[in-house]
Amino acid sequence: MNISTILLILLAIIALTISFLKDRKKTIESMMSAKSRFIETATQVIGILSLIGLFLAIIPESYIKSVLGGSSIWLSTLYGALIGTVTIIPAFIAFPLSSSLVRGGAYLVAVAAFITTLTMVGFATIPIEIEHFGKKFTFTRNMLSFIFAIFISLGMGVLLR
Amino acid sequence: MIKRLKKFKLILIVGLLYIITAFFDLAVFQKALGNTLMFLKEMLEILPAVFILTGLINSWVPTEIIIKNFGSESGVKGKIASLLVGSVSAGPIYAAFPLAQSLLIKGASIGNTIIIISAWAVVKIPMLIVESKFLGISFAATRYLLTVPGIILLGIVSEKILSRCEINAGTQREKQIEIDKIREILPGYNCGSCGYDSCLLYANAILSRNEKTDKCKPGGKEVQLKLSGLYYG
Repeated sequence: MNISTILLILLAIIALTISFLKDRKKTIESMMSAKSRFIETATQVIGILSLIGLFLAIIPESYIKSVLGGSSIWLSTLYGALIGTVTIIPAFIAFPLSSSLVRGGAYLVAVAAFITTLTMVGFATIPIEIEHFGKKFTFTRNMLSFIFAIFISLGMGVLLR
Repeated sequence: MIKRLKKFKLILIVGLLYIITAFFDLAVFQKALGNTLMFLKEMLEILPAVFILTGLINSWVPTEIIIKNFGSESGVKGKIASLLVGSVSAGPIYAAFPLAQSLLIKGASIGNTIIIISAWAVVKIPMLIVESKFLGISFAATRYLLTVPGIILLGIVSEKILSRCEINAGTQREKQIEIDKIREILPGYNCGSCGYDSCLLYANAILSRNEKTDKCKPGGKEVQLKLSGLYYG
């Protein structure tokens, strides 16, 4: 568990305790609604996460390496952004993976695109996002984030040369 | 029953895929299972805390405070506040949705909602440290220097593209729950003394236009107290 996770859990516990001391009934009511929303989201997330887990097990790391270090830096960057878009990997795994990709010959720009879309664009979580914000919001946010991620990685290509 | 099945459709399909994989290649199956368990662990560490906080914000934080700090009039300060809220939180992007949604419903602007979601996913000090460790400090620092202004720009651009009424489709269900809460308190005479044709319209006005809670004549003081209790603690 990293430090920000621990802080978040602590914050939730403290807030819950204060709320409980101030108004028992209100707290219980709000926790009941939180519980039902949690179960709903969790059922969706579990299915998506298992699918990604399977997907990542089938596609070998060496394949990703060859795609991100291909003959054209432009194509590799685009592929990097696309792979980042369709997968969700926890960041603490993504960084060691990226570092092994770079050592294996992937372009830095392609890896930057991969990390940025990985975190900002969520193809797999689109159904959950639509449920919360509607279709137009979801597609606009993901499209714009994808475009921004490409610019960010190109900017890195220029700055880190 | 069918609705229940539909909810678990994805899980059932994926479960089937896992069984098929196990028949063909046990090693891949084990690796996939390992991946999934790791992802689920991350989810279980974070989601309960997120939902507790979201629930508490829903019932304690008054709408005006959210509008003042994150609404469309909040300007540069609102953008910085959104960036901070996002970056101090933990977890993957899907954990940001419930919290960002409840802020949006309570009056945060669309741009700031998007800044919160993006910052939640990308801007993290502990992650910056991990990133510098694996990819070098210049890589990590450059990425952050480009990403933070990028996120703010993303918020500004999407604010221009999206309008609130289009998003309501996605948040309709949440809104309905809130309206039902108000209607339970109102007497339901549809007498029109509040200036609205029905209790439903009045409930709607309280929720979406911050209409005063003392308009219901038949309900009197009691209803007013209950209504304001619902929203201002």
